[in-house]
Amino acid sequence: MLTRRAAGKLIAGAAASTSLFGAGLRPALAAAKEIKIGITLPLTGADAEGANRIKYGALLAIRQANDSNAIPGYKLVPVILNTATTTAGQYDPAQAATDARKLIADPAVMAAIGPEMSGSGKAMAAIYSEANFATITPSSTNPDITNPKFAHEFDPSGKPVYFRTVTTDAYQGPAMANYFGDVLKVKSVYILDDSGAYGVGIADTFEARAKQKGMKVLGRDRLNPMEADYTVALTKIKAINPDGLYYGGVMGAGAKLVKQAYGILPHPMPKGGGDGLLAPEMLTAVGFPAAEGWYCTIASPHLTQNPKVQPFVKLYESTFHTQPDDYAITAYDAGLVIVHAIKGLVDAHKPVTRAAVREAIQTSKTNTLQGEVTFDKYGDITNRTVSIFQVVENKKYPLTDIIHQFKYIGVAPTS
Amino acid sequence: MSPTTVFLQQVINGLSLGGMYALLALGFTLIYGILELINFAHFSVFLWGSFIGMWTLEALGLNGQNVILTGLPLIGVLLAAFLASMVFCGVLGVVIERFSLRPLRNVTGPMAMITTIGVSYILFNIILLGAGADTKNFPNPLPEIQFHIDGAVLDLRIVLIWIISAVLMVGLWLFVQRSRMGKAMRATAQDADAARMMGVEVDRVILIAFFAGSALAGAAGLIFGLYYNFTSYIIGYTAGLRAFTAAVLGGIGNVPGAMVGGLLIGLIESLGGQYIAVKWTDVIIFSILVLVLVFRPTGLLGTLAPSKS
Repeated sequence: MLTRRAAGKLIAGAAASTSLFGAGLRPALAAAKEIKIGITLPLTGADAEGANRIKYGALLAIRQANDSNAIPGYKLVPVILNTATTTAGQYDPAQAATDARKLIADPAVMAAIGPEMSGSGKAMAAIYSEANFATITPSSTNPDITNPKFAHEFDPSGKPVYFRTVTTDAYQGPAMANYFGDVLKVKSVYILDDSGAYGVGIADTFEARAKQKGMKVLGRDRLNPMEADYTVALTKIKAINPDGLYYGGVMGAGAKLVKQAYGILPHPMPKGGGDGLLAPEMLTAVGFPAAEGWYCTIASPHLTQNPKVQPFVKLYESTFHTQPDDYAITAYDAGLVIVHAIKGLVDAHKPVTRAAVREAIQTSKTNTLQGEVTFDKYGDITNRTVSIFQVVENKKYPLTDIIHQFKYIGVAPTS
Repeated sequence: MSPTTVFLQQVINGLSLGGMYALLALGFTLIYGILELINFAHFSVFLWGSFIGMWTLEALGLNGQNVILTGLPLIGVLLAAFLASMVFCGVLGVVIERFSLRPLRNVTGPMAMITTIGVSYILFNIILLGAGADTKNFPNPLPEIQFHIDGAVLDLRIVLIWIISAVLMVGLWLFVQRSRMGKAMRATAQDADAARMMGVEVDRVILIAFFAGSALAGAAGLIFGLYYNFTSYIIGYTAGLRAFTAAVLGGIGNVPGAMVGGLLIGLIESLGGQYIAVKWTDVIIFSILVLVLVFRPTGLLGTLAPSKS
């Protein structure tokens, strides 16, 4: 049993070891001023795996900047906040808003990386806007957040604060509709979403483009991600018998949908979704054979298999003992953009303030792993590449290998 | 698929859902009948049942959907998994009663109910922290055998689930109606003080009610995993809430009521999803609950145990 005295010793020991650790770091950085960078991600719950890969990408950019003393005289300190709650079981917009306020309340925080999810982004954007505080999302793709039509809701101050190193669902959803129509020759579709901001939004953009291309939309329904049973919805779809199925949403509902669809829908029917489906759980929770054949997209160029990016991939794997996915790379890119912007201010002897950092990000041109990143006047990335993947079992690699079990099909057709 | 086939298929879906809700609802009803306590920890006991079942199956060498068993090995593996889930959850229920509810037995007001909510959170957070938040791939040793009825598909595993649920429910019914302990339970439900004066060991009766109700939740958790081939730390909430609704719909405290309520909620969910829309499922279910409470507050079959007040 732990006696009071023993516990006291333990605590003293822990304190000594932290002070030793601190002492080891301090001399080199004695003069360094701290700039904090927020990282807001749903680190627990259904979205945890992807969120942690993104976190590592962002941390790697910050760590490299510190190690190479990229911003002379300054040290970057990550402030990591969890946007997931156990009651939501996944990302929670209410928690995201709380986290945004927490970051704003700390005057040393100059910018942030995140959020992962559009639902969180919608809750955070207005809070950031009022504080003139920039965030760069590596993965949230709902177009409304940066759409000037909704500026009163998400950007009341009028200056863009929500930047992205991925493109939006205004391109991602239509890209899959183009692929369904032009390549897979799908004439009729049924559309499902998972009731989240991202899922509803991407399903809407898919639906609009599908109709434009003359596809028949035979129905649209909404899944509750807390629900276990989707056999009812799937039986209904089987009865309607569309050529294809599109699902807008993340893995919370997606894992169950894909799993149950295998037993109910005919296997040759093309089934696809957005970047929400390109997630580790597609291979761990769903697995083969159920996952086989599903299509998905990402709102960025496909980089993890790009030969030029291999040194990064190796470094990431050796540092964090897990594979990066493409959004870990866009998160790293987001970190590079912030570092580059702050460095620009410091090099020009300008004060580092939130307003100045926001301004610097807005006008920045940063060389990143995906090439030169620039933003349009709303904060969206100017490169609008959408990549298409299909889950195809590749026996040469482990069945949970997220790079090799999602087969890269190519860049999506743009019209 | 013809309209009748679709209808038939959705009825099959609804009855499978309903069987699970009914098993869970029985636990609510059993404990409410005796203690007039709504036990929200039941949600998480169900969750634990599904994880214990998964770990037992994995310990027996089953992983994912790759190992299919038939005959005696299948029966053996299922028996072991059900035994493990049910005994573990039964004991868990007893522990919950003994350590968090008995000290509050004579406290009036909603204290005990609020305690069960707290216990529920503790239990599901242990799973969340211990096993992680990702959706788990649940082993499924049942062979993929399908029966076709007029175009509708009936999986062997659904038939098995119906059989197991029915056996457990009838078993409970016989236990409550025919056994000595069942008689003591009914006596305690009618009037605990009078029962105590007649020599009924009320504390023991309550423990056994918790054991039986929680063991059924454990079985329901395992059945959930076998049916959907996944489990995750959040499964307790939605299923638990629906099952609670089922118990109220059938008449809380009433054992056949819980079974009827469970099957009805399952059917409402599947047929509502088919003919209205899946997105309205919760609205439909809870509207029906409200209507039942307004026009028939004791539920469809009424409460068997007379009110103590």
